Amino acid sequence: MRAVKKRNLKTFFIDVVRWNLQGGYGFRIFRVILLIFMGLGVYAYSFQARYGLEVTGMNDIVSWGFYISNFTFLVGVAAAAVMLILPAYVFHDPDFHRVVIIGEGVAVGALIMCLTFILVDLGGPLQAWHLIPVIGIFNFPSSILAWDVLVLNGYLLLNALVPAYILYSHYRGRKADERKYRPFVFLSIFWAFSIHMVTAFLYQGLPARPFWNNPLMGPRFLASAFAAGPALIALVLAVIHSSTSYKIDRSVFNKLRLIIVISAIINLIMLFSEIFKEFYFPTHHSSSAVYLFFGMDGHTSLVPWIWTSVCVNLVATLVLAFNPGKNNPKVLLPACLFLFVAIWMEKGIGLIVPGLIPSPLGEVVDYLPTWVELFVTLGIFALGITVVTWLIRAALIIEQSYEPNIS
Amino acid sequence: MQKILLMYACLFLGLAGVAGQGGASETSFLDEIKDIQENFDSRAVENVRPVTRETVLAKDQFNGRPFRVLTRKNEINRFKCSNCHTDKAVAVNQGVELTHGSISLNHGREGQALACIDCHHPEERDYLWDKKGEKIDFDHSYQLCGHCHFRQKRDWLGGAHGKRVANWAGERVIYNCASCHDPHSPRFEKRYPATYSPPLDR
Amino acid sequence: MKSDNSSGKSGCSCSIGTARSDRRSFLKGLSIAAAAGSAALATGCVPSVEAAAPEKMKLRWQEFFKDNYRLMTQEEKEATIARLERLAKLQDDLDIQMSSDPPIDRVLYGYAFNISRCEGFMECVSACVRENNLDRKTNTQYIRIFEMEPGKLDPSTGDGRYYHKVPVENKFYMGTQCFHCENAPCTKACPTKATWMEPDGIVVVDYDWCIGCRYCQAACPYYGRRFNWGKPEIPKDEVTTRQHYLGNRIRPKGKMEKCTFCIQRTRAGRLPACVEACPTGSRVFGNLLDPESEIRFVLKHKKVFRMKEELGTEPKFWYFID
Repeated sequence: MRAVKKRNLKTFFIDVVRWNLQGGYGFRIFRVILLIFMGLGVYAYSFQARYGLEVTGMNDIVSWGFYISNFTFLVGVAAAAVMLILPAYVFHDPDFHRVVIIGEGVAVGALIMCLTFILVDLGGPLQAWHLIPVIGIFNFPSSILAWDVLVLNGYLLLNALVPAYILYSHYRGRKADERKYRPFVFLSIFWAFSIHMVTAFLYQGLPARPFWNNPLMGPRFLASAFAAGPALIALVLAVIHSSTSYKIDRSVFNKLRLIIVISAIINLIMLFSEIFKEFYFPTHHSSSAVYLFFGMDGHTSLVPWIWTSVCVNLVATLVLAFNPGKNNPKVLLPACLFLFVAIWMEKGIGLIVPGLIPSPLGEVVDYLPTWVELFVTLGIFALGITVVTWLIRAALIIEQSYEPNIS
Repeated sequence: MQKILLMYACLFLGLAGVAGQGGASETSFLDEIKDIQENFDSRAVENVRPVTRETVLAKDQFNGRPFRVLTRKNEINRFKCSNCHTDKAVAVNQGVELTHGSISLNHGREGQALACIDCHHPEERDYLWDKKGEKIDFDHSYQLCGHCHFRQKRDWLGGAHGKRVANWAGERVIYNCASCHDPHSPRFEKRYPATYSPPLDR
Repeated sequence: MKSDNSSGKSGCSCSIGTARSDRRSFLKGLSIAAAAGSAALATGCVPSVEAAAPEKMKLRWQEFFKDNYRLMTQEEKEATIARLERLAKLQDDLDIQMSSDPPIDRVLYGYAFNISRCEGFMECVSACVRENNLDRKTNTQYIRIFEMEPGKLDPSTGDGRYYHKVPVENKFYMGTQCFHCENAPCTKACPTKATWMEPDGIVVVDYDWCIGCRYCQAACPYYGRRFNWGKPEIPKDEVTTRQHYLGNRIRPKGKMEKCTFCIQRTRAGRLPACVEACPTGSRVFGNLLDPESEIRFVLKHKKVFRMKEELGTEPKFWYFID
């Protein structure tokens, strides 16, 4: 390092940008691919901006579709950062302390994806300023959507600013003052549970939708989030371990596996509880579950979807639980991937669409996302991955240059 | 310890208070409505366009409140009947088919159907008559219909049968029986609906 | 992949990286263009590149920043109505008369539907579509009529998509629309309070305030609400020109709409279009606060019930049998 380079907030941002624009050949290909997908997403959204939401597959019965499904799932992924924060800050686990910043980066990326999904789902996104309290009207505390806006933005701030402060301190070569950020860390632990419960309450609080109107939605969301989120984080950590010089100890993966297994088993128990309630004595309220698992009136499009999800979920959970190969990453990482995908299927489309079918008057339609929805979704996923990449890359560079200094 | 108990008590009371204000409570807004005693004068509603069709004050009243009924005589093409039907018999070849051929009489069940003079006064053709021999004006045909269809008449007086003409406010003007029901063939014909419900997934 | 230990080494870009910086600046330019393009597309500016009159742009600009209708003063209400009338003239060459009639004092609207008398003619549906300027392209209909099997009152057991000669023997007909609940779940769910219950009982939507999140549509247990997925299209000669701001004015795309008990008619003392069109007189409408009204007669003397009563939404729409 050259003699006494000035380091302040401005250079911090410039350096973050600079680090992310440099990099090896593979990294640049990765960035270009993400950029292409984002461009395709914008192009697809332009159709939606021009013609309205009629270019999507949604209609008056299935009024929420692929966008809100992904939003629901990703809030869970964002909340799952708490499963790294808890061991790192409450139990002072040193291995987790090394990786907690990665978890927070994933959380920020997931939250930005969530907010973007909501934005593209709105029929009048230009009127979104109507939500701002003083200049618009914010229907708090009656509307759970208002609660959701609050808690998501609050969690984004917490998960962005606390790591930013820590990283900035390390960038300046100083130790971050734990007294300053520790209360916010504890706040973010409780807040993580609340963001996902509030998102669950969005659906749980609607008596018009019996598929959602049950008390198990909130806890089930938490269980599936704490299974899928750490699974994703395990995959991200594996990528970081193999493609950068930031090495992550095996014990982190082993502990993550435990967290994932416990949450996945609880998720399956809750699934069984829901299935029992719907099918032991089916009532009119069970018609959504009947549509989902067995089809109704000849509409069976979601039946293979949900059965695949449940079976893959079961197999992945068993593999992770019984651990054949004794923590062999070649076994565990694919299991994590499959679990993540299975929970995405079940908590996304497998939850939102059946809740709306049959309609309140009993009519059944099918839902299929159109190319606009698929490309916008891919674009938003690319945006999220870009955000996560930028944050993690900057964080790892700072941490790697900071660590040798203090230890 | 006591502080914790007090906290829990406050929390519980607060939640109970919140829950009590929500829906699914035992009382309904209908109870409050039924308690309202003051009358509402719908004629006091401003800017109501008056009904322009011809009306006549009804001879019956609903709960002591008068109302108006659409006239019928201006709807009948060949009124006055006494133009042809004087005290002499009408001696025209196939007169019934020529003048009243468009009427198909289908009122009542098979074998028990009504005949013309069951309703029309045989001497005073400008009037209807009931079984007691009372003359009934065409504009007030409800008095005749109501002899048999007394349930519908009771509902019609109250408003559960029939309809108001154009306005819910202002002076009460309602359709008379023959406005909707052809007195000679009162049952509604089977027909195709005016429209259909399109597919719900576009 | 080698990682950049770039703790401050900013000198890389000089000689080695000319090709790299070219690529970098190209990517930077591309992303800026994408961002700008997406911003333009998102605001919908690109499609309407036709010579938009400055007056039209000024009116749309003013309309964009206006307040929620419920919070407007009378002058603001009249101003926005004047702007909307002018915009309709400029954009579609329509002469409309929009009103902002306030609720009538001591009135609470109630509605009753006689399931013994309905013969399934669907004249109400047709009249509603015409009166309320509903989108003809998607055949939006506020009212649904179900052909029901006697013995079952649940519309899910009925057929809402029939088209044959009616009435069919041994079937009865039941209609649904927004029931204007006293304890409406939809108004509770709206995050911006774009929908609320007026003092005369009508649940209305301020179409310009709605952000189109469709949470109210998820919350409604009766399929009462419709969303404008695209821009509504109505043939010019079929547009009803007597409109109300909260009622049958032509809605922008991406906004929620619903039955308003024909607010443009009922606040002028007239019956809703569905009531007036019904050939069998199955629909009863009136003021619940008037003990002498027809609706109160029905509630007092007839066997009435409401749909999904157990949900506690307190609809102001009753069904009755003779």
